[in-house]
Amino acid sequence: MFAIERINIIKNYLQRDRHVSVAMLSNLLNVTEVTIRRDLEKLEREGFLTRTHGGAVIKDDADSDIGYPAETPLNLTELSLLQEIADTVFHLVADNDIIMLTDGRTNRYIAKKLTQKNNLTVLTNDLLIALEFSSSPGNHLILLGGDLEEFAIYGQLAINNMQNFSLNHLIVEVDGISKNFGVTVSSINKASLIQQACKTAKTVSIICPASQFGEKSFYRVGDISIANKVITDSTLDDTYKDYLFDLNIPLYTSVDIYEAE
Amino acid sequence: MKDPILKVEDVNLSLENFALSHINLDLYENEIHVIMGENGAGKSLLMQVISGVIAPDSGKIYINNTPMKSKAFSGLFKDVIFIRQDATMISQLSVAENLFFNNLPRKHKLLPMIDYDKLNYLCQCFIDELGLPVSTFDKVSTLGFAQRQIIEFCRAYISDAKIVILDEPSSALTQSERDLLYRIVRKIKERGAGIFYITHSIEDVTELGDRITVIKKGQLIGTRNVSECTQEDIIRMLSAQNLNQRYPRIPVKKGRETLAVKNLGFEDKLSNINFELHQGEILGITGLAGSGRTLLANCLFGAVPNVKGQMFLNGVPVKIDNPYKAISNGIALIPENRLTDSIFGYLDVNNNVAVSSLKRFANYFLINNSVMEQVVSDYVHKLNIPQQNLHSNILEYSGGNQQKVVFAKWIMSRAKIFILDEPTRGLDIASKVDIYNSINDLIKKKASIIFISSDIEEILGICDRVAVLADHTIVCDLPTSDITVEKVLALSIGKD
Repeated sequence: MFAIERINIIKNYLQRDRHVSVAMLSNLLNVTEVTIRRDLEKLEREGFLTRTHGGAVIKDDADSDIGYPAETPLNLTELSLLQEIADTVFHLVADNDIIMLTDGRTNRYIAKKLTQKNNLTVLTNDLLIALEFSSSPGNHLILLGGDLEEFAIYGQLAINNMQNFSLNHLIVEVDGISKNFGVTVSSINKASLIQQACKTAKTVSIICPASQFGEKSFYRVGDISIANKVITDSTLDDTYKDYLFDLNIPLYTSVDIYEAE
Repeated sequence: MKDPILKVEDVNLSLENFALSHINLDLYENEIHVIMGENGAGKSLLMQVISGVIAPDSGKIYINNTPMKSKAFSGLFKDVIFIRQDATMISQLSVAENLFFNNLPRKHKLLPMIDYDKLNYLCQCFIDELGLPVSTFDKVSTLGFAQRQIIEFCRAYISDAKIVILDEPSSALTQSERDLLYRIVRKIKERGAGIFYITHSIEDVTELGDRITVIKKGQLIGTRNVSECTQEDIIRMLSAQNLNQRYPRIPVKKGRETLAVKNLGFEDKLSNINFELHQGEILGITGLAGSGRTLLANCLFGAVPNVKGQMFLNGVPVKIDNPYKAISNGIALIPENRLTDSIFGYLDVNNNVAVSSLKRFANYFLINNSVMEQVVSDYVHKLNIPQQNLHSNILEYSGGNQQKVVFAKWIMSRAKIFILDEPTRGLDIASKVDIYNSINDLIKKKASIIFISSDIEEILGICDRVAVLADHTIVCDLPTSDITVEKVLALSIGKD
């Protein structure tokens, strides 16, 4: 088979499935992986796709970033780390669960992934998360009422509002986890909202990208022991693995390495 | 009360990944002091410190009120005899010669020739006295393992050592051999020695023990008089504190059956093993040392010959009689002993990772090295293995990173069934956490896992089901949510 034919087949597959794996293509086209990887490199240079671990995803502007207009866009590595986290949370939430997602960038990716679930009840204070679920009729979304700051809702009204609900699983995105300062966020309103939410939840999962470990923001939510689970990406520093294991808190580093066919 | 013949005061010792801390222990004449604890709890290490083989970092050891100092290479302390699990005898000599090796009768004081008549006479008397199942003139090389062990125990009796250490003497013995062992141990006690007796068997404790000490993760949990505690008390001491909440575990819906094992057996060591394994499932297998955990792993991987029984992969019967077949059927084994069985010490990291997937990088008859290195570095990066240089020798890496390289190798081979034999033993915590999380990635993507471990908390923290090996077979196969550490322990030591 000529290279040009292979490349057309790969393009067709990508347009249909959005992602392909090297193993699958090499089986399908009956050529070695070396050849497939070369084809993918070529397509990457053309700007058609982005290579990932063991495969590639189609480059699609609409898919690349869900951000506030003011936020700096993510680069591809950061994006894939957020997607790793989203995938882990996806497995920790069951269909029919009652959950809350607090506002934050990672949580928006989590929300996007969770729209594939069925019959979830999702409580949130983030407008963009609400928007994600608006196109997912299989799940039930409740948006908290209260004072709007940028794209999220906080304040006494929101806290009062939250007292009506009892949560199974609270998924909190925070801005810093450090050994000395515990769990911190960037605004006082956010801190008090999270503190209130923790009181009503059976399981608390704290989401924090690995780059934010060791950092501290100004407002303290509490000790790291408020978390039942800590979920981060695969670039986390070893000292925090030791630290959380000794505290008896399970740590999910969202490794994405196995290439299933 | 008399002074103890041996006293251990606040002994500390730290090794690379393990530490004994604040050990206080004593032993009296005419006493059988039982030491219990899980595998890897530090029992044997403690005994090596007590006997003088390894010097502690700090703390003191007194024998007959004299502080002892262990020097490197000087061997055991005087007055101590240490009988290990692996019999250490001279196989070309006779039973009599081995028994009396340290005090052979001489013909004459000045002419130190061995008086064989006397030697054989003494030995025969001794054999008659205890009713040993051996004859004086047998060469040791012709004896079975249990018979050799019995002779080792007799050596401890004949010697005049005041402190006798027996490391798991009963684990490989049958019931009648055990009775003989008990007789010998009681004789050793009667002659005035103090005995440290390491065991996993509750029966040993109730039959023999005067006092029992439980050790866990290098620390003593407590010492009790056997007459004052019940079997339940002992099991509770063994399973003190429950920490299985700290393992990151992902619930995965189990898929179709990938592996079924029917009536698997091997010699007289394993029999009637039956279990199934599904996609996305982690089956834990535990049991005491010598219960056949590792042997079972090797049977499934085709690494031992003449395995009885049937295996089905995805419902199709297969015969896996060599590791090559196992690998080409998508079965991977991460063996217990990393250094001898799973890494290639003379190869670099790059080749150690790629070695099971070379076919994928073949370009006609050559291997495309640049693509291979690119792919390897991707795996190495994902598993947080320091990658200054993929061409440095694997032995320059820490144990944790070596194990991660082994993981990367099998993950890269895209195996479907992973048999992990003690994958986290002796690793630093960060590497353990990395390994737990890569296991999660495997099951998310529908692989099946057999997770063998002697750490029961780990098994209960990670696995969906646990199978306990005892008496050469699987004595229970239950969801981990329905079972406790106490129950697993009780099953593996053969109680109820």
